[in-house]
Amino acid sequence: MKNCPYCGWSHVREGLLFCEECGQPLTTDASVTLPTRDLKSSENINGAVPTWGTTTLSKDSTIVLHIGASEPLTLPAETETILGRRDGASVRLPDLDLTPYGALEKGVSRIHASIQRKDDTLMLVDMGSSNGTHLNGQRLVAEQPRVLRDGDEIRLGKLTVFIYFKG
Amino acid sequence: MEMDPYVVLGLAPNANDHDIKSAYRRAARRLHPDVNQNNPGAAVQFSDITAAHELLTNVDRRVAYDREAAEAQSENQLTLGFRITPSKRVVGPLSEPQVIYLLAEIIPDPRARDKQEQKHESRLNLTLVLDHSNSMNGSRIDEVKVAAHRIIDQLSPDDIFSVVGFNDFSEVLIPATPVKDKAALKARVSMMNASGGTEIFKGLEAGIAENRTYLGPRLVNHIVLLTDGNTYGDQERSVNLARVVAKEGIAISAMGLGQEWNDEFLDELASATGGTSEYIKSASAVVRFLNDHIRNLSNVFAERVQISVAPDPDVRLESAFKLAPNPQALSITQGYIPLGSLQTTRKISVLLQFEMPADMKAGFRSIARLVLNADILANRRQQHIALSDISLEISESPRPEEPPTAIVDALGKLTLYRMQERAREAIERGDIQEATSRLENLEARLLAMGEVELAQQARSEAQQVAYTNNLSDKGRKALKYQTRHLLLGSSVEEQPE
Repeated sequence: MKNCPYCGWSHVREGLLFCEECGQPLTTDASVTLPTRDLKSSENINGAVPTWGTTTLSKDSTIVLHIGASEPLTLPAETETILGRRDGASVRLPDLDLTPYGALEKGVSRIHASIQRKDDTLMLVDMGSSNGTHLNGQRLVAEQPRVLRDGDEIRLGKLTVFIYFKG
Repeated sequence: MEMDPYVVLGLAPNANDHDIKSAYRRAARRLHPDVNQNNPGAAVQFSDITAAHELLTNVDRRVAYDREAAEAQSENQLTLGFRITPSKRVVGPLSEPQVIYLLAEIIPDPRARDKQEQKHESRLNLTLVLDHSNSMNGSRIDEVKVAAHRIIDQLSPDDIFSVVGFNDFSEVLIPATPVKDKAALKARVSMMNASGGTEIFKGLEAGIAENRTYLGPRLVNHIVLLTDGNTYGDQERSVNLARVVAKEGIAISAMGLGQEWNDEFLDELASATGGTSEYIKSASAVVRFLNDHIRNLSNVFAERVQISVAPDPDVRLESAFKLAPNPQALSITQGYIPLGSLQTTRKISVLLQFEMPADMKAGFRSIARLVLNADILANRRQQHIALSDISLEISESPRPEEPPTAIVDALGKLTLYRMQERAREAIERGDIQEATSRLENLEARLLAMGEVELAQQARSEAQQVAYTNNLSDKGRKALKYQTRHLLLGSSVEEQPE
């Protein structure tokens, strides 16, 4: 069986014309159906934006985070990476400290969100942050994992991070 | 014997005994219940071929049948078109199962339109079964009365009309009667008051009793059930009753008003008889819905249309969906699929999804036999039967084929309906995460198709599910019936030429 090029669902039988999982057309002529996607501003968009990137990771893909104009960050190849802000007083420390990107001013919590790698998918979970985590303009419900796609926009408080799959 | 035994066995009218026997054996090998344990369509068809074989091998019966058929033939009978389009004509042999779609279209005889102008329209045997429980109080019951008055205005003196009101009890407001004194009929409808609870079975039972008093093959026998509430404990009985009356030739359409009624139950009730189910958001739309519905019924070419589908033993029918004229999910558990009435000017389209086995051998092979049954109202010998054996070529190097636009178009929208259905299934299993992500996928697709309002509905339901672990009453109906409604705009809706 094939994988859906949009959502990565792995049970696409030959002959299906639409993915039974995400509803995307599976027609052969990809050039016609491949949608384009605009990168968004960090406004809270009141109407979510559809995203089309793949969700599937291969074993050796690396995950790259783009934060503002700074040098892209490579995500450690752990099963879970906690994003947050290091601060002298707290006991539990994040795996990825966002202080250098203005995390304090932008309202990132000490323990804000986590990115979990499960087999071939990547999930984003808000860990009960004060200012919330947004995925493509939609606010996440705390502790509810959501699948990340290549090119997704994550917002922690007011700090915007784009995530890309490489390789 | 109402079917054409020659058609059933795929024989020429001059076939000899040897032809008949070998045709029967060939069909029996494929349709025998022993090799079709999970295939109710084959069981229905097996009994047909057995009956056809018995008739044709009995000399007296065969001669009598031929004579009768020749008489009917000489009267310039109207016919039906039965057209099947597969999503692919050539497929590759794969080591895994693959999917194929068939679009089945049932097309009225174009001559019927001209005839219709000279003759008066099809006669109705219509029963309204109206909920007048407490919740109908106020504008709802007033709108229902107005709608019933309008219907009475539309009917002709040849039509048969009856009205049953129900709450905890049922009450025959108008016994089945020809529509002579319209004012008196209207006055009886006006006396209806809202009180009590909702027991659909009782209303349905009484409505069926009225409809049966004039039940006839030359009539469009139809019951319209209108309710705004949930019925408890009698749903299964109601659906079983609907299956029984479907065989007698009565169709039931179910209209749910507001948010509180059980959509799964009404869908099942209607689809068991080939009727339609509708979601009427507010009282102000009742008149329009009922009027449109009745108008369609007064322009019927064939009644009791049904298809039975018997896939080959190694092929599986996965789902069936009526695309037009009224989009509706169809139940495939009965062996035959009731499709209701065929109008003079609009075709019926049904999309079937099959799974074919892995490792098929190269060459031509059959995948399913489809049989269409319908009563053409204008004909003296009404029963019309058409049969189609679907075969495909299995080839090592299938040429790339564009699937037919009608199928792609319909399926794109049908997929949305399926997505909301799968979200509901996930909720029933308690898998909230899956349900939320399905609703989000649905939202993304709806947005991509420009259905902004419905996309917002999907998003707010995704949030609703995340917080409350369930859909809102309003949201579940809006998503279901409005995604279903999208199919109305697809190209399969075009008028037949």
